[in-house]
Amino acid sequence: MIGISQIGVYIPDRKVSNLDLLEKFDVNESFIKEKIGVLRRARKQPEERSSDLCVKAFDDLNKKTSIDVSEIDCCVVVTQNPDFNIPHTSAIVHGALGLPEECASFDISLGCSGYVYALSIVMAFMQANGMAKGLLFTADPYSDIIDEDDKNTALIFGDAATVTLLDSNAKLIPMGFDFGSKGAGYKGLINEGKLHMNGRAVFGFTATIVPKSITKLLTKLDLEKDSVNRWYLHQGSKYIIDTITQRLELDKQKVVFDMYDYGNTVSSSIPLLLCHDIDSMQVGQKIGLSGFGVGLSWSSAIFQRIN
Amino acid sequence: MDSISVKQVLEVIKKAKVINNVDELIVDVLLSEQGVDSLDLSGILLSVDEAFGVDIPDEDIDGLQTINDIVDYVNAKA
Repeated sequence: MIGISQIGVYIPDRKVSNLDLLEKFDVNESFIKEKIGVLRRARKQPEERSSDLCVKAFDDLNKKTSIDVSEIDCCVVVTQNPDFNIPHTSAIVHGALGLPEECASFDISLGCSGYVYALSIVMAFMQANGMAKGLLFTADPYSDIIDEDDKNTALIFGDAATVTLLDSNAKLIPMGFDFGSKGAGYKGLINEGKLHMNGRAVFGFTATIVPKSITKLLTKLDLEKDSVNRWYLHQGSKYIIDTITQRLELDKQKVVFDMYDYGNTVSSSIPLLLCHDIDSMQVGQKIGLSGFGVGLSWSSAIFQRIN
Repeated sequence: MDSISVKQVLEVIKKAKVINNVDELIVDVLLSEQGVDSLDLSGILLSVDEAFGVDIPDEDIDGLQTINDIVDYVNAKA
């Protein structure tokens, strides 16, 4: 069965400190640490584009597990900040990596729900077409669209990219997914030249919808929440993670939080967490994933470690 | 719906575990002066919305700066 085999990541070394912005945004250090949960935001070089970040994530993957690019059957990029509107960024990545002409390439336009959505899409695509190896990239550098004077967004988002190797030698396979959309709320997060976020609307959406999505999925799979060993929730902010944890009454020790040193990296946030744990998970362990945000959109999944 | 009381609103906030010091809140003092930041206020208003079925549009937020403001608002909308 196709599943997650390995994950490569790229986080730019260049960082911007939120602690230098306390006076500018009239916030204190406690608010930055305990509510936002971002001390430093990763920043790509201004000239770098999404495809460049993807290639660097691939370099990391290649160090972890040697990749024969001639064996790659599909190349998919999740982004809403493509290099260009035309062509699709996956084509540029395809060319940069020297992938074979038989390799299918396409982009998926989703934000923070994108990784979990894309796992389902790409695994199904591969299985339907007899493909053996696929690369699923996430790269959504918001630094190009952030208004640095906007308190609602300037303290949160960081740049990064990831690539997930999907193949039949998988460590993690899916048990089930849940998806949803609330298109009537699309203005909650919108790029109209610069990113605008209605923080209260996005918070209200997340606090109500994500617990329902996860509960619905667990019920569908006939699983108790305590049977899930680790939760990898989209790292929107610490306040969001704490709120979901509290509302679902999850064991805090099981909920991964790690965005202090790079920020909210949109569709890259979940694979950035998973990459640290994928090799150390024990066979049989279950993990929960949930991505939520732009759209408004959400997707949740339960995966299990198999080998 | 019967009028809601300050006590009911405080109980809702406490039950939702939005902030820790609910019992110490002074009902006619600005929440922002009592350590309640903008994110906490979003959490408080969400819990009030869910408990009393009152939709609170963004344009009304500026008028909801104390517990008394919230109680009066919910009773006016009920």
